[in-house]
Amino acid sequence: MKVLIPVKRVVDFNVKVRVKPDGSGVDTANVKMSMNPFDEIAVEEAVRLKEKGIASELVAISCGVAACQETLRTALALGADRAILIETNAELQPLAVAKLLKAIVDKETPQLVILGKQAIDDDSNQTGQMLAALLGWPQATFASKVDIAGGKATVKREVDGGLETVAMVLPAVITTDLRLNEPRYATLPNIMKAKKKPLDVVKPDALGVDVAPRLATLKVVEPPKRKGGGKVADVKELVAKLRSEAKVIS
Amino acid sequence: MSILVVAEHDHSTLKSATLHAVAACGKLGGDIHLLVAGHNARGAAEAPQLAGQLAENVAALIVNIAGPYSHIVLPATGFGKNIAPRVAASLDVAQVSDIMSVESPDTFIRPIYAGNAFATVQSKDAKKVITVRTTAFDAVVPEGGHAAIEDVAAPPGFEGIELLGQELTKSDRPELTSARIIISGGRGLQKGENFKMLEALADKLNAAIGASRAAVDAGFVPNDYQVGQTGKIVAPDLYIAVGISGAIQHLAGMKDSKVIVAINKDPEAPIFQIADYGLVGDLFEIVPALTAELSST
Amino acid sequence: MSTYHAPLNDIRFVLNELAGLEQVGKLPGYEEATPDTVEAILEQAAKFASEVLDPLNAVGDREGARLTEGGTVKTPTGFKDAYAQFIASGWNGLTKNPDFGGQGLPQLVATAVEEMWHGANLAFALCPLLTQGAIEAIELVGSDVQKAKFMPKMVEGVWTGTMNLTEPQAGSDLAAVRTRAVPQADGTYKLYGQKIFITYGEQDYTENIIHLVLARTPTAPEGVKGISLFIVPKFMVNDDGSVGARNDVHCVSLEHKLGIHASPTAVLAYGDHGGAVGYLIGEENRGLEYMFIMMNLARYSVGIEGIGIAERAYQRGLAYARDRVQGRAPGLDNAAPTQTILQHPDVRRMLLTMKALTEAMRAVACVTGSAIDHAHRDPDPAARKRHKAFVDFMIPIVKGCSTEVSQEVTSLGIQVHGGMGYIEETGAAQHFRDARITTIYEGTTGIQANDLIGRKTARDGGTVARAILGECTKVAIELSKSADANLKAIGAELASAAEALHGAVDWVVASYGAKPRAAHAAAVPYLKLWGVVAGGWQMARGAQVAARRLAEGKGDATFYRGKIATARFYAESLLPQATGLARAIAGGSEAVLALADEQF
Repeated sequence: MKVLIPVKRVVDFNVKVRVKPDGSGVDTANVKMSMNPFDEIAVEEAVRLKEKGIASELVAISCGVAACQETLRTALALGADRAILIETNAELQPLAVAKLLKAIVDKETPQLVILGKQAIDDDSNQTGQMLAALLGWPQATFASKVDIAGGKATVKREVDGGLETVAMVLPAVITTDLRLNEPRYATLPNIMKAKKKPLDVVKPDALGVDVAPRLATLKVVEPPKRKGGGKVADVKELVAKLRSEAKVIS
Repeated sequence: MSILVVAEHDHSTLKSATLHAVAACGKLGGDIHLLVAGHNARGAAEAPQLAGQLAENVAALIVNIAGPYSHIVLPATGFGKNIAPRVAASLDVAQVSDIMSVESPDTFIRPIYAGNAFATVQSKDAKKVITVRTTAFDAVVPEGGHAAIEDVAAPPGFEGIELLGQELTKSDRPELTSARIIISGGRGLQKGENFKMLEALADKLNAAIGASRAAVDAGFVPNDYQVGQTGKIVAPDLYIAVGISGAIQHLAGMKDSKVIVAINKDPEAPIFQIADYGLVGDLFEIVPALTAELSST
Repeated sequence: MSTYHAPLNDIRFVLNELAGLEQVGKLPGYEEATPDTVEAILEQAAKFASEVLDPLNAVGDREGARLTEGGTVKTPTGFKDAYAQFIASGWNGLTKNPDFGGQGLPQLVATAVEEMWHGANLAFALCPLLTQGAIEAIELVGSDVQKAKFMPKMVEGVWTGTMNLTEPQAGSDLAAVRTRAVPQADGTYKLYGQKIFITYGEQDYTENIIHLVLARTPTAPEGVKGISLFIVPKFMVNDDGSVGARNDVHCVSLEHKLGIHASPTAVLAYGDHGGAVGYLIGEENRGLEYMFIMMNLARYSVGIEGIGIAERAYQRGLAYARDRVQGRAPGLDNAAPTQTILQHPDVRRMLLTMKALTEAMRAVACVTGSAIDHAHRDPDPAARKRHKAFVDFMIPIVKGCSTEVSQEVTSLGIQVHGGMGYIEETGAAQHFRDARITTIYEGTTGIQANDLIGRKTARDGGTVARAILGECTKVAIELSKSADANLKAIGAELASAAEALHGAVDWVVASYGAKPRAAHAAAVPYLKLWGVVAGGWQMARGAQVAARRLAEGKGDATFYRGKIATARFYAESLLPQATGLARAIAGGSEAVLALADEQF
């Protein structure tokens, strides 16, 4: 079974982003970039499927600037077999990414596409569902457990208030949630092997996909700062203030 | 111009998320139609294949009836997030996720980078598919309704997916993401069993219990308690942080709370910088005293 | 809340722009070290350091390693798992010979990666550092059988290695070693004696520990020429490579130390129960010579420790200074009644001192690391020789000066915090305590300085010293002629510092034979003078490159301007120490010796 793993290059989890003074967006120049953490979980799950003998080939895909190759190399170091970069300097929104991925899926015909539930930059939480819709495939979003057997994927999903289990006939799309697994660290020998694994670069035009954005970002601002720093002397004063001043308890 | 709100419900009552989503629509202007896609729900769309509310089926239904609507609105809950992008892609339109504010019928404010920036975005598509951050809009009061109820036919069920079951976490407590009051514990609790102390307080306040990543990492409580950038993002009316120092990743998950109380023995803990009411001291004394104070008055 | 993040941008800058990573990658055998592979290695090492090692740093300090009943050691919570993850990730074998399972990467890459380990968790990183030294010794002088038996497992890290030199009466003076090694009929030896200060001499990470032990055979001559080197495994190793019976080497105590609490410092007893089986490495009586070959690299690595811990202290101080609001900073047109302490000029001075010293020492170490690679692999024998001479000269400077700088930087790290820095919970104090050992082990600063004046400077009449200084002066002259005001100012300061050092080299060469006590009294100031100037030299080169990149309009302008500003600070605020040190060397050493014993 071939598995496709879309991965996104995002501002590293640990970086405190700064809004550009002109309000045009967030400053991403010279900021540490890493693989979206939810995509790391997807890569890990795919690697485990391969280790269990369920998956036979893992293909990592990224859409974006040339530097996304680094993210793909990370995926290769973690265990993907080969990688595809859909290279463009254009701003890509989830619908465009889903269309690009669909074009690759049509060519590669994987049985499973597994990706993060959302990217920690735009926090859209759309790409997996959109891809499933475009392909007419079933989807299991927010997966916390995946079992694959007999052409079916049984997935436990995180839903508000608990878990839900669905069974899907493959091919299908799965998006990963935090509890699915704990991603491994790339090993030094695998980092060195990664550079010998194939990485193909294609352009959106070659896939016949129009990636023009549908949403215009008019401005980006910092969230208002909470004042904070208020103190109370004791429990009695706290309760009194919560009742009479903040009016949050009765 | 009319708006389709997709209701989140359990086949007998609407979930409160729906009321918040409807509130956001009030700011869009236009007629609001509520789609209740379910089974034995006495609602609009009735079909056995909708019983599980699988995204494949609900989305197909929405797409079928989407024609006249300018906006299709869902709550940004597990339910809405699962379905909305499927609708948007099927209609070949962009989706605007998790809006916090409606600036105009095509312009919205939404958080990005875990709420560290707010983006104002304008949709260029004729139809807008939107999910609504429920905590950003006060719920409408569900009374005095006089709308006509109309049945719509559901398309055939999607082949290739089956709902096998649900295990809802059994708890009388409200869900973390929808609770009005949350009490969260951090590494300062020292061990899992000390969370019992928080439970006693939560019982008094009908609050949900959360935790910092440090407490989850230390194994005090399960993962789904985690509030933070990688856990649940919450914005209750009252957030009480107990023994939580306030790592930036935790703050990202709760700093939109309307009122923040911090209880910590370290006066320099960063949590105090964002707390409206900080109480410096030993949580093992303060929390029981707070529970007692709430019982006595 | 403050955590360690590897300074990847600074590290990349030094590797690529100052240490010639690209040329190192072209040396035969280092072809794997292409810029993109190295980039991936740095990224992943940084991630491992921040996510796995850093969270254990404070835990390790609080819990410490403990000796349990039965002479076993319990390392702090999480350390054993982290070690397992460390070796499973293949980091242990980074520079090691691929024939024994290593990755064969250049020292320059290891320098960058090791800085991250030390910065994230010094006490943890000591274990692989010691294993590396033991592997080096076995590879250099061990027999083929010994190599085959021990190296693969040590390279992988499933067995660790230790260095057993010190005894209660034999510290810096190894001639006093008394541990006995008695030859047996089967060609092995039995060892009897006690070794102290054995870092990771006992641990619970691995199934076996391979001790390298200095001891005397019964027929050995007195003094340093009668010491042999032995392999003594904790558990005997069967012919199939499996672990066999327990050997007679036992941990009898762990030291209670100022810092690096998570690193078990063992007292090891050899032969209390009949004799510890040992295998001679190389020839009898040449042990110290072997030890010194290998000690070069160990000293170099301790220098990297100093840089790692200094960087960490800087990061913590900076994070605090950005957050802490206190007082009104003088001279700011700012209506705010209070500002963060970063706005206060003296706090800026402290932080910039920390930053500049750390960057300077990193650059010096990496340039030396690159020379280590060229000395090993350059196809041109003359180039190999030249680089070898540079490395030999620089190692006492890297060791001595990086670790001395770490004292100053971690101390300033506390000072930036004010009273909060003196409180253990803040974390700054741990760095200060942890750093303190680095100027002591693997040869104190005094030992490094004695090496520098004697073997390294005086022995060849100052030839290598002057050649290196010539390179430095060349940069100073280039910069002095620059039209750029920053570069010109840096060049001028560097030129006068280099001139001062020239004078000191001449004095050392002249005095070493003639006035040995005066020369030795001036040794540490001479070492520090070299550190100050070598640092200024590399900072100046950095400024030169940054100015060039700015002119080309390439890369991150803010970063490059920061490099130039930091180099100018170094030149104007730190390099002037050079003239003072030079005066103290030439004029002050007599007075050092003037006091009679009873006057102390």
